Amino acid sequence: MSRVRLGWWLIAIPMSLLALATIYPLLFTANVAMKTRRDYILDRFSLTDALRWENISTAWNSVGMGRYFVNSLLVVTASVLLLLLLGSMAGFALSQLRFRGSSALFLGCLAGLFIPFQVVMVPLARIMADTALIDTYPGLVLVYVAQFLPFTVFLMTSYYKGIPPEIVDAARIDGSTVYGVYRRIMLPLGTPALLSVGILNALFCWNDVLMALVMMPSAEHRTLMVGVTSLRGQYSDNIPTFASGVLIAAIPVLLVYLFLQRQIADGVAAGSTKG
Amino acid sequence: MPIGNTQPSVRPAQAGRAGGAVVTPSAHRKGARPRRARGGLRAERYAPYILVAPAVLIIVLLRLYPLLLGVNFSFTGDGEQNGTAVGFGNYRELFADPLFQTALGNVGLLVLLLPVAVAIPGLLATFIYLRVPGHRFYRSVYFFPAVLSPVIVGAIFNMLLAFDGPLNAVLSSVGVGPVDWLGDPDLAMFMVVGVHIWATFGMALVVFLAGFATLDAALLDAARVDGASLRQVVWHVIIPSLSRTIQFVFVTTMIGMLTSMFGLLYVMTTGGPEGSTYLPEYYIWIKQGQMNRPALASAASTILFMIMLVVGLLQIKLLERAGKED
Repeated sequence: MSRVRLGWWLIAIPMSLLALATIYPLLFTANVAMKTRRDYILDRFSLTDALRWENISTAWNSVGMGRYFVNSLLVVTASVLLLLLLGSMAGFALSQLRFRGSSALFLGCLAGLFIPFQVVMVPLARIMADTALIDTYPGLVLVYVAQFLPFTVFLMTSYYKGIPPEIVDAARIDGSTVYGVYRRIMLPLGTPALLSVGILNALFCWNDVLMALVMMPSAEHRTLMVGVTSLRGQYSDNIPTFASGVLIAAIPVLLVYLFLQRQIADGVAAGSTKG
Repeated sequence: MPIGNTQPSVRPAQAGRAGGAVVTPSAHRKGARPRRARGGLRAERYAPYILVAPAVLIIVLLRLYPLLLGVNFSFTGDGEQNGTAVGFGNYRELFADPLFQTALGNVGLLVLLLPVAVAIPGLLATFIYLRVPGHRFYRSVYFFPAVLSPVIVGAIFNMLLAFDGPLNAVLSSVGVGPVDWLGDPDLAMFMVVGVHIWATFGMALVVFLAGFATLDAALLDAARVDGASLRQVVWHVIIPSLSRTIQFVFVTTMIGMLTSMFGLLYVMTTGGPEGSTYLPEYYIWIKQGQMNRPALASAASTILFMIMLVVGLLQIKLLERAGKED
């Protein structure tokens, strides 16, 4: 027994060092964000002597982080709601209803999983330009929906497969329409899956930079992550303000992680084991 | 699509519980007012298609169609030759471009580093599954960078790895000269890949843990009773039982390396120094956005897609064979 214990501690030491390496960069950033420029130049590691919020407000005001924040919030909310609606509709039909061509349609949706944005970026930008959707909020929302819909349909389909078909049959015998079954039964029943996949999609959309960069060229439409990339040029000689900007952009995700860690991990796990 | 009554999954139990409470009453409520109009029946027949249509339309119009459009586009000319067929001209130019050669070389580097990127989360998941002291804490800490945007991760490491940054400050305090982590062409790509692995191993860890959840605990107990060492347990019980999960992690990690490093590259190195940190995805973006060469970018996109297909298929083949020999 004692030999086993010793073994565990030999593993625990590198594991805790790795945990430190995982968490330290963010603690460092938070600390630097609170320091004065002078303090940072004199000593990069010393703990800040006070919580200074002026760096945060400088970063927030100067590169338009507030505006970018609102842009991100708008686009992400619309994308996630649309993803959940379309994903649950398709998932319900593909898992619970019998109809000709359903397996072909399911495979068609799955095929989207294997086509990353980079591969279709050039033609997609052209399609968006031709339809005057480029540089508009609905345009970016559509791009996000197209990007994450295959995954959402896939997860919702596998989730709804676990719901006994007798429930649908019973409701149908009682005279409910298919749409009624969807709205009154499948949508409420899908809540746990919708929550997981919704949080995951929200993170993906919030964290994206490439699609936002390509589809929203003008400055006033920038999302928060694109805004972060412009911080570097602005504050290359003022690291505390730079760190503050990074912290502002990280805080929403940190909060989501603190409160909804379980649902995020569940979503990722479901995506991998349902295959 | 056949609807099985016996779906082996963790979730139905949960769903069943909710179903008992929520569904039955609502189904009865519905029954109070039956609707059996003739026109209704006809509309009902199309209901499945109407429910699936929006999703399928979006995926077909904004995924599958652009893929074909892009392949077609890659055989046409740029600029003055816009739209005219140029055969394999773009592909010839692509493979002659030193930047694209570097990008392909870096893909090779990623393939070489792939086992590291899979082994780290795999080992950590094994220890967490075997309940190393503090396993809950480790799980949530390790997973945490995976939710951060590559842009944020890149910005943080930009700061840490700067020439006059903290890492070099530590090194100089122990008498090692400053290293230009992101400015040295021989080093920069390793740094970017390292940061990518730092940021994403938590995702793979969670996937591994989900795989472990399906592992037959009796096998492990049997091995323990027989006095197998940790190494023997990993080698003879865990790896063979998890071959599907390992396969999945290999493929998704490789795809992640090929398609989700843009944020890091954009923030940390912008492809430099001397173009040493190019990947096909970054090349596509530069040619499309900065150089206004969409047809050339389409050719690069087609190559990227083919790389992804080949990588995926090869890995599945190799791992299947390895699984059979066991």
